[in-house]
Amino acid sequence: MLRRTAVTTLAGSVTALALLVTGCGGGGQDTSAGTEKTGEVTFWSFLKGSEAVAAAFNRSHPDIKVTFETVPSGQEYYSKLTNAVKAGTAPDVAVVEYPHLPEFAAQGKVEDLTGTLGPAVKDGFPEAVRQLVELGGRTWGVPRDAAPLTLMYRKDFFTRHEIDVPTTWDAYRTMTEQVKKADANARGGVLYTNNPGQLTALAWQSGGQWFTAADDSWKVTLDDAPSNKVASFWGDLARKDLVRSLTDADPFWTSVQKSQTVAYVCASWCAGAQQATVPDQKGKWAVAPAPTWDGKPASAMFGGSSFVVPKGARNSGAAAEFIKWITTDPEGMKAWVASGTSSMLPADPALVPVARAAFKTDYYGGQDVYAVGAESYKAIRSGWTWGPVTGTTNAAIADELPKVADGTAALPAVLTQAERTTVEQMERRGMKVSAP
Amino acid sequence: MTTSVRPPAPARVPAPGPVPPPRGRRRAARRPSALLSKTGVTALLALATFYTLLPLTWLLLSSTKSRQDLFGTNGFALGDEIHLTQNLQYLFSAQDGVYLRWVLNTVLYAGVGALLAAVFSVAAGYAFDKLAFPGKERLFSLVLLGVMVPATALAIPLYLLAAKVGLVNTFWGVFLPGLVFPFGVYLARVFSAAYVPDEVLEAARMDGAGEFRTFRRIAFPMIAPGFVTIFLFQFTQIWNSFFLPLVMLSDQDLYPVNLGLYVWYSSALSQGRPEDYLLAVVGSLVSVAPLIAVFLMLQRFWKSGMTAGAVK
Repeated sequence: MLRRTAVTTLAGSVTALALLVTGCGGGGQDTSAGTEKTGEVTFWSFLKGSEAVAAAFNRSHPDIKVTFETVPSGQEYYSKLTNAVKAGTAPDVAVVEYPHLPEFAAQGKVEDLTGTLGPAVKDGFPEAVRQLVELGGRTWGVPRDAAPLTLMYRKDFFTRHEIDVPTTWDAYRTMTEQVKKADANARGGVLYTNNPGQLTALAWQSGGQWFTAADDSWKVTLDDAPSNKVASFWGDLARKDLVRSLTDADPFWTSVQKSQTVAYVCASWCAGAQQATVPDQKGKWAVAPAPTWDGKPASAMFGGSSFVVPKGARNSGAAAEFIKWITTDPEGMKAWVASGTSSMLPADPALVPVARAAFKTDYYGGQDVYAVGAESYKAIRSGWTWGPVTGTTNAAIADELPKVADGTAALPAVLTQAERTTVEQMERRGMKVSAP
Repeated sequence: MTTSVRPPAPARVPAPGPVPPPRGRRRAARRPSALLSKTGVTALLALATFYTLLPLTWLLLSSTKSRQDLFGTNGFALGDEIHLTQNLQYLFSAQDGVYLRWVLNTVLYAGVGALLAAVFSVAAGYAFDKLAFPGKERLFSLVLLGVMVPATALAIPLYLLAAKVGLVNTFWGVFLPGLVFPFGVYLARVFSAAYVPDEVLEAARMDGAGEFRTFRRIAFPMIAPGFVTIFLFQFTQIWNSFFLPLVMLSDQDLYPVNLGLYVWYSSALSQGRPEDYLLAVVGSLVSVAPLIAVFLMLQRFWKSGMTAGAVK
């Protein structure tokens, strides 16, 4: 019963996304677009600084009271949010990472923000991030941070062993060989075995395009030529033990702490995580742009979050006000980075100076890590769309990733298999998938 | 009470046999094959013990480490300095002492919840065994049906129901489902059949005890070991229940300890909050301590309860 209502409300938009929702009959009007900008707002998030942001907003907005509730991150959170929308107990504002947004939009689980926050998104954010929240010509979320790729490396190690910081992937491969030669226990990279986001970002950076939303159907091409190239490259590095195969949690950080990982491909936010998690390696790390195939700047996103108004939110007017403040207002940005330890790159370029000013760079020997991030942000390839069943796609890849290093699974074949699983799941949900 | 006591010679329900004498006779260990199997079994048990204790050892050692040592030193070795006291202090003071609140919540959800669930189960099982009422066997089939459905599968339906009556994100949303324990009812019926002879009830009634008094003063003490078994079963079940609190609760002050630890752990390293990772490690150690204590204290009942159902 509840699902039906959600579906019909969405049906107004004549878009690829809306058409993919089963059984749209048209004619539904968005009834919940509130104009009231007072009252109570509940806010679900797992992002660092969320509590401080809510408190700062409450101080400067006496008419609105935001109640912040911590939620776990990961797939469990998304099933919690999905069920909350189903039951009609959703919060007014919720965090959704970019990869998961199309799933929520396609299922009609978030409100269409085109009328309320659409203009702010259009004016304030570059195409690189807009393409992730504007789907089928409508706005479904407001970006908080961009997470362009960067290369983290141990400057002291590289200098000591006279290793050059790679700018191409061929040079990266050479670098990993040099690192292993210089110190048999050290490696110049990591292939995360539990987090497909890294591999996905590398495919995107190389020009891969996993999902394309056409008029009334999706094209799914996880194993297109650029993605295959990336998969072969990283699969080979992992199998030859030139990069570590580890989960991105404790094993990874242990390897960093023990100087067994001296370089890794990550994103802008990693500078803060690195500094917070391994504080005693202060002054040893530096940030560089991620290598590319041809040496010309190219980038993609690994991570990043947006805010949505879930379907059934009781106070969407005030929710929109809150979202706008925490994503586009300098005061809001100040609250996010107040701890001085977050290196997240605001998706709104106008706010980058605010975040840059708050971040203490002594860990990086005074290097302007935000300059690297901002350059990488500009180089993000356009044309990327996340798929509508990200949970399934991610699980299909993550299940196989641990088998890559010992050769029991070939990385390109993993992508082919994940594509098949993704298409099956989409068809099960009644979406049309055209032949790739 | 209009229910009457079932006649002593039951036609449909199998009569409870007398509890067989304990099988404590020692097997002759003279033959080499028996000796061999004994070593084999011991080795296997040692392996199982090792497997069980290994993660606990890691947890114990990790809890004593500073954050640097946590990632910098071997997981099965001590760190450079012992930080256990600081870690514990940090655990109980972090986020305004929310951890203690989670522990308290868990005691209410799992402790009080399991206690009540065990009371209801024993009462229901006793009623199913000793009393006659219309539709009894049909109702009991319903209980058995409940045993078959895994608790995880019920989380979402329960959540949707709770949303309808406004119990989402309240204490009751997690507490009430914990009171229902079909397997406990089934066990209690078996226990009642094994431990409570009908003759004793007859005698009690002859002496003028009412139906409830008979249950409370005569039958209940006889089923006590079964009661503890059921309590422990349900206690662990609620203690381990994760998905229901996950979807049901979003107010951190209502979290049981396992959900709280998960929140800390899940975003500690991905969100650049390594101090939360330490909290999750130390918090895990503190949270298993009461469980170990409960089991050691109730071990006697637990062991007798385990075999009691088996001979039926």
